[in-house]
Amino acid sequence: MFKLASKAIEVANKHKVDFGDIRVVEERNQTVAVKNGEISALTDQTTLGYGIRVLYKGAWGFASGRDMTERAVADTALRAIAIAKASRLLMRGRVRLAHEPAYQDFWQTPFLKDPFAVPVQTKLDMLFALDKTLRADKRIKVSESEMNFMREHQWHMTTEGSRIEQVLLNSGGCVTATAVLNGESQLRGYPCSHGGQFLAGGWEIIEAMDLPAHADRVRDEAIALLKAPVCPAGVKDLIISGNQMALQIHESVGHASELDRVLGYEESYAGSSFATTEKLGKFRYGSEIVNLVADATLPGGLATAGYDDDAVKAQRWHIVKDGILSGYMTNREFCGRIGKDRSWGSCRADGYSNIPITRICNLSLMPHKGTTEELVAGIKDGVMMENNTSWSIDQRRLNFQFGCEIGWEIKNGKKGRILKNPRYQGITPEFWGSCDAIAGPQEWRLWGVANCGKGQPGQRAMMCHGSSPARFRKVKIGVHG
Amino acid sequence: MKNIEQVCKKIFKLARGVQCEVMAEKRDSSLTRFADNVISQNVASSALNFSVRLLDGGRSAKMSFNQADDATLKHAVASGLEILKKQKKDPALLPLAKPRPIAPGKNMFDRETAELSPSFRAGKAAELARACGKTGQIACGTVDNGASELVIANNLGLFVRHRDSSVTHSVTVKDHDGSGWAEKTSHDVKNIDFARLNETARAKAAASRKPRDPKPGKYTVVLEPQAVADVLSYMNAYSFGGQFYNEGRSFVCGKLGKQVLSPLLTLEDDAWGAAPGMPFDFEGQPRTKVTLVERGVLKAIVHDRKTARKAGTASTGHALPQPSYFGPLAINLAVKPGKDSLQDLIKGTERGILVTQFHYTNLLKAQTMEITGMTRNGTFMIENGKVAYPIKNMRFTQSMVEAFANIEAVGSEAEFLQGWGYISCPPMRLSGFNFSSATKF
Ligand SMILES: [Zn+2]
Repeated sequence: MFKLASKAIEVANKHKVDFGDIRVVEERNQTVAVKNGEISALTDQTTLGYGIRVLYKGAWGFASGRDMTERAVADTALRAIAIAKASRLLMRGRVRLAHEPAYQDFWQTPFLKDPFAVPVQTKLDMLFALDKTLRADKRIKVSESEMNFMREHQWHMTTEGSRIEQVLLNSGGCVTATAVLNGESQLRGYPCSHGGQFLAGGWEIIEAMDLPAHADRVRDEAIALLKAPVCPAGVKDLIISGNQMALQIHESVGHASELDRVLGYEESYAGSSFATTEKLGKFRYGSEIVNLVADATLPGGLATAGYDDDAVKAQRWHIVKDGILSGYMTNREFCGRIGKDRSWGSCRADGYSNIPITRICNLSLMPHKGTTEELVAGIKDGVMMENNTSWSIDQRRLNFQFGCEIGWEIKNGKKGRILKNPRYQGITPEFWGSCDAIAGPQEWRLWGVANCGKGQPGQRAMMCHGSSPARFRKVKIGVHG
Repeated sequence: MKNIEQVCKKIFKLARGVQCEVMAEKRDSSLTRFADNVISQNVASSALNFSVRLLDGGRSAKMSFNQADDATLKHAVASGLEILKKQKKDPALLPLAKPRPIAPGKNMFDRETAELSPSFRAGKAAELARACGKTGQIACGTVDNGASELVIANNLGLFVRHRDSSVTHSVTVKDHDGSGWAEKTSHDVKNIDFARLNETARAKAAASRKPRDPKPGKYTVVLEPQAVADVLSYMNAYSFGGQFYNEGRSFVCGKLGKQVLSPLLTLEDDAWGAAPGMPFDFEGQPRTKVTLVERGVLKAIVHDRKTARKAGTASTGHALPQPSYFGPLAINLAVKPGKDSLQDLIKGTERGILVTQFHYTNLLKAQTMEITGMTRNGTFMIENGKVAYPIKNMRFTQSMVEAFANIEAVGSEAEFLQGWGYISCPPMRLSGFNFSSATKF
């Protein structure tokens, strides 16, 4: 592949570009799903193509193609250069990229069992067995069990001399049950809904989830939710657990810290950010125990790789340190705007046909101390919520509102009855500022976000958010229309 | 196109008598994105994707790929057949669709639009950015164009194809603490009035400077077309598709034939109507015109072959590519326009809020279509029939069943918009719309 790729580098060099790169990407994506006793998806997708990026006299151009011949690669490179020339019509200064050494390297996601080598029928047998358990009660109207496996093989070459081959592998799955009665529906999932839990690795990820051990509970809780009281409205203390903490981190810190967005380059679509650059190193984002760390080296992380798509080596850095805004997600184009001469390396592209853009890296809330029981014990009147069902946040990442699958009432330090339709709303810095306890490392775990959308044309990216359950004081709970 | 036909033939041959369906989609797209008054991204892609579904006596597999060389085709079909061999039979699985006559669709293709050059797009971006630069405004947005071709064929003789072109000019203008937005999409660039869109967004940005703090609560709202389309698209996706209906999750369940929404609301899906599209669905079946809501009475839902069979009826031609999370979906929606202009809607409002656009809407509860989201890019207080002053953005948490029962007036000027498919939508005035919290800008 590098031989084919080098054709693009040759064309780029001939035209004296400031910078050029080509990523040849081969992807395989397998989904196996069973719904209500039937196969709802059995798909196996492969794509192969390349994206070529050039910086010509300080302006960007990008073109992608799928015709795997030297001639087509050269034509696509010329097309990228022609587009860059058009970009020169509207520029302020020349785009310059932060320096990064050239690398010749191979990196791959560590895994134990190749999920594509596990027979489809083994997967189907497991899913049908789960489906049977989920549907053991007639009030379950929708039962869904699924698995998904993704492999991305990249060959990345730059005009600076980098030559990086990477093989990234992710596996995910879940069971969900929806109970329906008189038009009302209640959803419960394990490990979470929205397509399930994903981590970097192979078939061992599915085995470790132990879906069969949770299917009975998922079914019974979905049914119990139908009869549960609605989560009452009021200002109460909140414990967030399960993948809801991942969504809270993702929406209110992850996207808010994307530097392109902070600088206004995402304004026309997803919006901008309140966490503007003059706040770096000063702004109180959360309480003193709040530490949020971006980490492209995190074992199991969906955004973990040897290098990002700017050919920058994987790093680990603080976004929020002891409650203070301390860093951003960066690419090589914009990191200079905050005075950094090297990118933190969080620039990635979706497949071969998209240009690399600034993305959220793996971003985790560092554990503190104690157990969930101790968090509960410190609450007089509150709610514990688990697993996200609905998410919404404003265009500067301040006002958010989340809905969760299930809540538990907390009265006088004791976790009690379950509550349905639990929701909460807040303003980002006030909310993180009200965080007064985060459970210890023994309860810390990683959650995957497999469908993060950004950019125009729209791109998908994957990343993980690790956390332990955490407690927030005086939160607006139970918002209803 | 010829190439696609040949690939289909090769695949059918490899399938050796097993039922086989091919969906091929060729898409060329280019997009120029600008922000901060400069071009920030300028890209082009050309893609051709094939999906092959194999069915054999209750067994199925779907293989997708984007390389069409003989080795890839052979490998894909062979691995699909291998999966079939070991699979247990699923008695519920439908065989492939037989060909049915398809009425010709509206012409949706314009060569000039498909082939707009990078310098045309950059020029349009530059016109706006230079004008904004002179007045201290900041231009952000996109100019994109492209063309796509879709073929669905199977070895029972079905072969349908559709091609379209598209161009969209989307403008967001920042003016200090004000912001404005305008967008138009069409299959023909001659329908896009670039200057007018720029002017609308710039004027709105200027008018929304120095916004005041509003108080959350229930208000009469005048929703511009994009805001109506946003929440209506959710309602359509979660309520008017046969799958959620069959599963008992749609608010329409048990209410067909009943007056549930405002008599001012009539909602149709029509591939030859105000929001046209391809004349067949993703199973190659003819689309039919379906009236979903007639003067507030819930009339019908849409089906694909699978949901139709479960419901004991016929497909209405609304299949999405399989597998589909949403099941069938109406993608050529049109709200019947009323008599009032947007200005009339404002004039008839004693006290209320004018909303340009919603942001990050999401479903909270399907039973009542309770949705939350933010206002964006121009939110104004209306007092005594006039736009009085700009206000900061607010979050709404509102049942859309209730909101669309509370329509006071429907506007006369429908816009053709992209949603989950296409939607033609006029502005509307609704009463008692619940804003649940505020934000800081
Ligand atoms: Zn995201």
